[in-house]
Amino acid sequence: MLRRFVISCVLIGVALAAPARTRPHYGGALRIETQGDPWQMPDGLARRLVLDTLTMVSDNGAVQPALAVRWESQNADHRWQLWIRAEVHFQDGTPLTADAIAASLDEVCSHGACPWRMVRAVGPSVIFTSDSPLPDLPELLAQAQFAIAKQDPTGAVVGTGPFRVTGFANGALTLVANDDCWSGRPFADTVELRSRRTIRDQWLDLSVGKTDIVEVPPELLRQAQQLHLNVPVSRPVDLLALTITPNGALASREMRQAAALSVDRTALCNVIFQKQGEVTASLLPQGLSGYSFLFASDRDLDRAHALRGGASSPALTLGTDDTSAAMQLVADRLALNLHEAGFNVQTASPASRQSAPLQLRRVHLEAGSPRAALDEMLARFGQNGTVTGTDAESLWRAERGILDNETVVPLLWLPRAWDAGERVRDLRLSIDGQPLLADASLEGAK
Amino acid sequence: MRSAGYNPPQRMMHKGSLWAVVALMCVLPAARAANWEQPSADLAKQIAALAGPGPAKLILRNDSSLASAEIPVIRRLLERDLRGFGVVTGGSESATLIRITLSENLRGGLWVAEVVEGTETRVTMLQVSMETVGPSAGGSGVTLRRSLVITEADPVLDAQIFSIGGVQKLVVLEPERIVTYERNAAALVASGSAQSSWMEDQRFAIAHTRAFPRDIRGELMPAQDHLFDAYLPGVLCSSTGASTQIAVGCSDSDDPWPISTPGSGAGSSSGSNPGPQRAFYNALRDYFTGVLAPGVSMELPPFYQAADFPRPTGTALLLNGLDGRVMLIENNILKPVSGANDWGSDFAVIRSGCGSGVQVLVSGSGAAATGDSLRAYEIAGREAIAVSAPVTVEGAVVAIHTANGAASEAASATVIVRRDAPTRYEVWNVAALCN
Repeated sequence: MLRRFVISCVLIGVALAAPARTRPHYGGALRIETQGDPWQMPDGLARRLVLDTLTMVSDNGAVQPALAVRWESQNADHRWQLWIRAEVHFQDGTPLTADAIAASLDEVCSHGACPWRMVRAVGPSVIFTSDSPLPDLPELLAQAQFAIAKQDPTGAVVGTGPFRVTGFANGALTLVANDDCWSGRPFADTVELRSRRTIRDQWLDLSVGKTDIVEVPPELLRQAQQLHLNVPVSRPVDLLALTITPNGALASREMRQAAALSVDRTALCNVIFQKQGEVTASLLPQGLSGYSFLFASDRDLDRAHALRGGASSPALTLGTDDTSAAMQLVADRLALNLHEAGFNVQTASPASRQSAPLQLRRVHLEAGSPRAALDEMLARFGQNGTVTGTDAESLWRAERGILDNETVVPLLWLPRAWDAGERVRDLRLSIDGQPLLADASLEGAK
Repeated sequence: MRSAGYNPPQRMMHKGSLWAVVALMCVLPAARAANWEQPSADLAKQIAALAGPGPAKLILRNDSSLASAEIPVIRRLLERDLRGFGVVTGGSESATLIRITLSENLRGGLWVAEVVEGTETRVTMLQVSMETVGPSAGGSGVTLRRSLVITEADPVLDAQIFSIGGVQKLVVLEPERIVTYERNAAALVASGSAQSSWMEDQRFAIAHTRAFPRDIRGELMPAQDHLFDAYLPGVLCSSTGASTQIAVGCSDSDDPWPISTPGSGAGSSSGSNPGPQRAFYNALRDYFTGVLAPGVSMELPPFYQAADFPRPTGTALLLNGLDGRVMLIENNILKPVSGANDWGSDFAVIRSGCGSGVQVLVSGSGAAATGDSLRAYEIAGREAIAVSAPVTVEGAVVAIHTANGAASEAASATVIVRRDAPTRYEVWNVAALCN
């Protein structure tokens, strides 16, 4: 596992190496295809190209300045002040101000829960105040959901990022290089982003030279590598997990523990994902925490039966909001595993999947440091828990306390991968596995 | 032809580097053995606090990037240190099991000990530094010897050693600041590590009104009436002050960057130009525009790098075009150089005195990779000929500059290497030594 993580890190590292040995050329149109919506949270590619965050996370998990150049914790992490980078402009030419940042974040918070109580502009800085301490606020602000945006007079979303949107036609979003981007003009002149393309169509387009970069889902990663394709692979960034609603037949901890013990993670990893995942029972990947092996991930059917104590099981449903074929296979296999432990489980129909007491989820991780990552995962799973301390032992104790409740059963950590055509130079991945298109260049460009 | 003789202590710097390498080699075995002494003692103490004195069975597992040869060493240290706390390992029938996993996370090593007694398992962990010292390598015609000068977490564009008031200063140029370091001789002797001998002295922010390009480059050049100038895209920074404490001022500037030493007359037929050849840099991109000052009598394509190159008939200008072609401008004639297909975009001319006396140090070509290489070439006629074995570089070479700070003789080069996981920038001094 660790070796795979290290390889992943190396691959990211390659990708993150800034200038190449032969320096990148400017110009050209970069074409990319994806399955998802380009504006979806948190990993829509258009968001990453058009918008910037106040901070960013490097490949070693360090928080680095972005639109904020420095920050200071005050009042025991209840108050944070971040100073805004000067001379930055939105793509419509208006200057980036602290007021604009506060307004953008207020807009984000109006759609969902923000961990802070208030954000306000004070001179060239913004101040966040919260009722609870937020020791990882700078890293939290690197998440895509807190990217800074505004609407121009036409209602279009503009940001300060390396590309600006110029049009949408025939299913393709066209973005043009922002010459005045504070982080430097991107190498490509334009990006053509074609969304909602099936993997099959993406690979076909790449094979005939109609696109430059396509997605490689984990279940096809081995195949891509065997074909010697140019595939940068991220660290593990997507967690597959089974969530259990502690009601009814699954109200007792023993029954939830029995369900967790019945899962054959190794088979999921080997059969469906072709050994391209990391078997886990932890909310953090091994390479990030260093301790995930302490959470037992082996299947123990005998103990599962013993914990159930021969109790009869009412019909349970297992749902998933991910409609990909691989996730449907995982759901089917989980239902079979649970059935072998004496549970009467059926996969839910699309109509009833949201009310199913068992949910298969794929959760994306953006954070780069262990504590912020654990905080992020708790938030994504709607778990209450306080992570205090930054050392590995404290984090392990906090995580153990949360997982002991058996309402979240981590299964597999999966990487993200992209296949780049021969024209593409220096395709880099962000720490959460997204292609950094602003740093990619094209062969033959001038 | 040699430049005017300011900043003479090149030889001193060179000797210092060599001395540092020798010292490093002498202390290396001891340093490696000592690497695990403290972590072992600390973990043994933590384990003893959980297990208490008595017999125990010890299982050690390596789940990190540590070499397998290190494991018996660590095991012996742990057994010794545990014994010191009364925990005697080896009893296979013991009721206490100590399972130690040498794990790893993004911060470095994580040693995890599980103390199992019956059904109860208690856990303790220790974060461990995984720093190791890398080897150097040799070659055929000349041997490339590298010595690590300093490692930085932030991107480094150039680093040069200057001498002021008898004090050596390492000046590191980063995209947003210039940091100076002073040599700490006591630390060098104590640690044997060249890089730990530099102590931060001063830092200066680089003011600039427009954004830097994404593939930012920069260069430190010695100056005649002050210590150095730092050239960045659209910005010129100059030091002031003659004492050991300097000041640095930066301003927007489109002044051309020096690409040859004063008096070399690189590329021209006469070789009598009093000033250095300079080239205008495209502040929005990552290359020179092709316009020189005072210039040569021809139109040049844009290029990534240029340097004067001594030839039997005078000094030529060696340059590397955006299309990867390497050219010599000699007597106002542009001559393509063959055998340079493997060259990366950056190079440095070093005057080793070996072979023809002058070599070109280049990195590999192509996209950034997990491993890069450095190699020395000589140019005979119009052909580049490799004169050293390639030196493997762990990471990607992101810049190469002639060591021109305190090194007017330019016998070595500064090489900036980006290492990953975690990201850091290593500054190497690379010299070509005669075989």
